[in-house]
Amino acid sequence: MARDDDKAERASVSRRAFLKGGAAATGALSASLIPTVPAEAQLPDATDTDPRRSLVELRVNGVRYRQQVPNRTTLLQFLREDLKLTGTKMGCDRAQCGACTVILNGRNVYSCTALAVETSGGEVLTIEGLAADDALHPIQQAFVEHSGFQCGFCTSGQIMTTKALLDRLPNPTEDEARGALSGNLCRCSAYKKILESVMAASRVTRA
Amino acid sequence: MAQQTTTGAGGPMNVIGRRGPNIDAIERVTGRAKYTGDIDLPGMLVARVLRSPHAHARIVSIDTSKAEAVPGVRAVITHRDAPKVMIWGSRQYALNDRARYQGDAVAALAAVDADTAERAIKLITVQYEVLPFVLDPEEALKAGAPQLFDDGNLEGPARILTRGNIEQGLKESDKVIERMYHCPTMWSGGMEPRACVAQWEGDRLTMWASTQSPFRVHASLAAMFNVPDSNVRIIASYIGGGFGTKSAPHTDESLAALLARKARLPVKLQYSREEEILDSNTRFETRMYVRIGVKNDMSLHALEVKAYINQGAYHTRLGGLGNQATHVYKTPHVRTEQFRVHTNIPNTGPTRGVGDPQETFGIESAMDEIAAEMGWDPMAFRLKNIKRTGDPIARGGAGTEDGRLVTQALDRCIEEGAAKIDWSRRNRVAGSEKGSKARGIGIACTERGGGGGLGGASVKVNLDGSAMVFYSSTDIGTGSRTTLAMIAAETLGMPLSMFRSVSGDTEIAPYDGGSQGNRTLQGTGRAVEAAARECLQQILAAAGPLLDNTAPGDLEMRDALIRVKAQPARTVKLAEVMQRRGRSAVGIGNTTMPQTGVDVERTTAAHFVEVEVDRETGKIQILRYIAAHDVGRPVNVTIVENQIEGGTIQGLALTQGEEMRFDARTGGCLTASFVDLKPPTMLDFDPRVIEAVIVPNEGSVGPYGAKGLGENPCHPGMAAVANAIYNAIGVRLREVPFTRGIILRALSA
Repeated sequence: MARDDDKAERASVSRRAFLKGGAAATGALSASLIPTVPAEAQLPDATDTDPRRSLVELRVNGVRYRQQVPNRTTLLQFLREDLKLTGTKMGCDRAQCGACTVILNGRNVYSCTALAVETSGGEVLTIEGLAADDALHPIQQAFVEHSGFQCGFCTSGQIMTTKALLDRLPNPTEDEARGALSGNLCRCSAYKKILESVMAASRVTRA
Repeated sequence: MAQQTTTGAGGPMNVIGRRGPNIDAIERVTGRAKYTGDIDLPGMLVARVLRSPHAHARIVSIDTSKAEAVPGVRAVITHRDAPKVMIWGSRQYALNDRARYQGDAVAALAAVDADTAERAIKLITVQYEVLPFVLDPEEALKAGAPQLFDDGNLEGPARILTRGNIEQGLKESDKVIERMYHCPTMWSGGMEPRACVAQWEGDRLTMWASTQSPFRVHASLAAMFNVPDSNVRIIASYIGGGFGTKSAPHTDESLAALLARKARLPVKLQYSREEEILDSNTRFETRMYVRIGVKNDMSLHALEVKAYINQGAYHTRLGGLGNQATHVYKTPHVRTEQFRVHTNIPNTGPTRGVGDPQETFGIESAMDEIAAEMGWDPMAFRLKNIKRTGDPIARGGAGTEDGRLVTQALDRCIEEGAAKIDWSRRNRVAGSEKGSKARGIGIACTERGGGGGLGGASVKVNLDGSAMVFYSSTDIGTGSRTTLAMIAAETLGMPLSMFRSVSGDTEIAPYDGGSQGNRTLQGTGRAVEAAARECLQQILAAAGPLLDNTAPGDLEMRDALIRVKAQPARTVKLAEVMQRRGRSAVGIGNTTMPQTGVDVERTTAAHFVEVEVDRETGKIQILRYIAAHDVGRPVNVTIVENQIEGGTIQGLALTQGEEMRFDARTGGCLTASFVDLKPPTMLDFDPRVIEAVIVPNEGSVGPYGAKGLGENPCHPGMAAVANAIYNAIGVRLREVPFTRGIILRALSA
């Protein structure tokens, strides 16, 4: 894994991206630097000329990453398996459920159906990058206070879709919010409390 | 959390009965909660499963040599590697020499990464002897039908519940109707596809599993590998939904454990969505033949349900209809007879409500139909016949009514629900509203046990005064980490904020029945309460010397402050007591539900729905939905509401889709994706029109009068909507789902 050495970037990791998650998230990052796969599956270096692999340069939660990955690697796989950012979930791998939703260049996307290589050069925000300093993001806070989840498996996706919605439309009506979130399944069907969470978040974020 | 105090028979409550966030909410909204699929162990292999392309076939031979030769493949297993021990004493080995449905596991392998595993699995060649198959449960019982097992297609003898004499009861009735109701095989899985990680250290197995019942998986694997219980540890921390499909030990856990043992490396097996749909113990198809008889005085006199349950290929040992026929109404003559039939469709099992949603659909539709025939108000008919507190009820579910119903509140559920929906607005004559859109109101009632069984938990108060609850049952989204900690906090006299709960670990917590069937809150909750009391005694004993040797019986704890009951100003802080004591306070709870003589406690609900049916498009819109529930005393009101609202939508979902359809020519599932199953989004049912009504009540056996409730909200949806559609357009729907096409066809008939 080739990581940007810029000290400011590293500082921003400790301050911003991995705060509350602190130990766990930082631990996961260092663990990803330790080869855990046998030699035959070892990732090649950046000078790799295999046409089945491409260089991905991506800024994720404010940190720049450069890595050769198989062309078929989805953004979801890149986040979960290469960067160990497992807060983003795989629910269907078919763009049918929204559990894998992240924000790419300001828009909510299903990371299971974007190839990592086609997102190269882009900026990605995942659930791990949402909270700032020691405080939860207001959207996360609203989901906590209004219990906008049950099992929590779809929650990262619900929250990232909400983030994209409120960035675009700070004061949505309930119907606009329902429409925006209709691509995110919640099998526990905690929809009433999810909608309450979204509306509560909008009141805080636009204030 | 709102600063309100509730008062019950046991005095004012400090923690129980409030609204408020789950104690693990931050983990769940930050992505920090680790689900099984997020587990990453050094050297961990990835597993893939080879599945049968045939609905029914004998495996003649399997050649795995090409797969084994692929660099990076570490272990390949077939039925030859599977111990001859059935999974949890059920109907299947980890791998069988016969495929009984299209998608049945035939072989599995583990490799260094997913790409290698997926490439290699295609290189396994299987020679099949294709056998005839059968998909329909009644067809499967006919002479000459393809047989799935040597002992035939019937899973055990027919299950019969009976009281009175059904033939006599029908004969004595003034009016009898006979109807058939049908619920197809329906998908019931969660957002998280089934996942497990197996790791062997010598002959000790650790498994991270997405299961509702860690000790069942524990028992299953210990038996399969012939190792003592002490050599197995199951960890089921965060679970991405269960809904019953994860309540029985499953193939995936056995496969991962076998592969990990053979490869001598940890193995992760996570299903794809398609695998999750095909191999997840889904909701069973139920065909019900109902005969119902009434007397002219509006009394329900006889009720018979004969049900054919499509068990699918195997059997989880769990499932079947419930006690709707015997326990909701005072019917003198009742008989239910269930045939659990094997067919060549995927395995089914208990799913939210088990067979109760299906049984409720049959009985509550029939109640409505006969009320209409007699010209009775369907709610008045129900109120006349429901069981109330003090009414006799069979303790064992059937036969002589040797028990007495306590804390029953179905009457109040009906009355409060009717007031909310304004029952008087319903059409006096079904379908009388003209125009392209017609509105109607329907009702359905249901019941179930409130939980219980063997509970195990421990509570530890640390030296700094913080506390932990340990239990092996799980929090599958039901909020048990929070509610169980609230029970401990209430018992000890500490704020909830001082608690953390560790769930789903069979190595650190006592045996417990697991999270299914409404049972955790009462079953595990009683154990938590007992464990907390033991802790409290230790703390009060240690506090005595700091308060002039006051006897523990004269002390109490409130808000983590120990005080002399008679002189509340004399206090000592919990943290100080614990520091002085110098060791943790630990309590262990191992409880069964108390024997209360003839008392029987149940938990009930009445649902009311107003629909609008578009006669031109067949579209059904839910305008208002009142879900009135008796939950005993609610432990956390927010969690109770969330369960009722979510369960109600799951019940509604059964009316619109989620049907697993099978190709008559191949036996293959035609709907193995979200696009085909159509689980509801936030647009399909407007969540704002659903209102959870918690009917004030207090149970007699659960901790602080609580009753479990998770299953019930899913029961009445199908019947309530069918009854409302009838009220709107005069069309009776006896088969779910209620698609637009079916509505339009029925209207033009």
